[in-house]
Amino acid sequence: MPNCKLRLNIILPVIAIFSSVLQAQTVAPAPSAMKHDAPNVAHVPDLSGPWAVVGGTPSWDPSDPRGLKPDELPMTPWALERFKAARPPFGANATFDAVNDPVQKYCDPPGITRLYGYPWQFALIQSPGVVYILYEFTGLWRPIWLDREHPKSPDSTWMGDSIGRYEGDTFVIDTVGLNDKTWIDQVGHPHSDALHLIERIRRVDQDTLEVTVTFDDPKAYTKPFTGKRTYKRGSSPMEVTLCSLSEMQSFDDEVMKTTTVTPKK
Amino acid sequence: MKSKWSIAFIVAVCFLLVSSPVAAHHGTSGYDMEKVITLNGTVTGFNWSNPHCLVRIEVKDSKGDVKDWVVELAAPTLMTRNGWTKDSLKPGDEVVAETHPAKNGATTGLSGASTSILKFVVNGHALPFR
Repeated sequence: MPNCKLRLNIILPVIAIFSSVLQAQTVAPAPSAMKHDAPNVAHVPDLSGPWAVVGGTPSWDPSDPRGLKPDELPMTPWALERFKAARPPFGANATFDAVNDPVQKYCDPPGITRLYGYPWQFALIQSPGVVYILYEFTGLWRPIWLDREHPKSPDSTWMGDSIGRYEGDTFVIDTVGLNDKTWIDQVGHPHSDALHLIERIRRVDQDTLEVTVTFDDPKAYTKPFTGKRTYKRGSSPMEVTLCSLSEMQSFDDEVMKTTTVTPKK
Repeated sequence: MKSKWSIAFIVAVCFLLVSSPVAAHHGTSGYDMEKVITLNGTVTGFNWSNPHCLVRIEVKDSKGDVKDWVVELAAPTLMTRNGWTKDSLKPGDEVVAETHPAKNGATTGLSGASTSILKFVVNGHALPFR
């Protein structure tokens, strides 16, 4: 299989490094979470990748993927207030001047659903008790536990608490415990710490991956909505593109600011 | 180093609106994406770093005035996947480079991002573009 070497190249060092980190950082999971017991599944689809987005639409709104009508998502007054304060880089409200995108301004972690929209690859490492998703952009990764439930009162974190299961050829991820500091997409749609995500990941064919995400956030949206994106198998090994605040500020000074002021004649 | 080249502006209306859009982490609203101009000049610097690679080009206009342009490309990992390297450009190279100019008239342009790279001819040889 053409992907075996790549998978092993990723799996071996990452497991070695991350296993100790995870044991140190995971906050009070159920004891079974550390056992890495194999869940009772007859078939585990190979979802390893790496995967690169096709198209890269900026919004998860299924009726407005290009974000041309971003105010049409069914936002609550709480969310609408935040949405109106957002100055995003994409969509109908795109701006170059004084963008307050937390990723662009602070190099904040983009959040799970926004990571799916960047042009950088991601890959899955599937082991018996846990699946890791690695993201090239900013070098983020997250565990999806296969052998435990969510904590009863999870901390609110950038990546949340994710548990998963296989339903036939589809890997289903259930995530809660997210903080409200990220946008769900590139056009500035907010979310609350009540956001409940369901990601459904399946391979359409050998080289195509489909990710369907359902957003259920009653504090921010009056009804759940579901978006879908497609990915092709990446042509390159996984690398890392970090977000450095000093590099971002240097870029702002040299490029962003010059394009938002009246140049001297 | 002063360029021997003169500046030539070639406007291509709607060039990339009908092809794949250029996307950058900051969006494109600061650039005139309906216009493509061609810069003839000499490379004075090539910054191969995040969030976007930058090319500095010294361009002489028709009046003989020299202007320093900064042209933005994609991040290094994305440029690498399109066949560029950190050595694709070096100071002293003579370039003919297409770019989307800044809307405000600044000598800043956008020439490449995740989905598209405009044409760069370096010392007579075209770099990969799409």
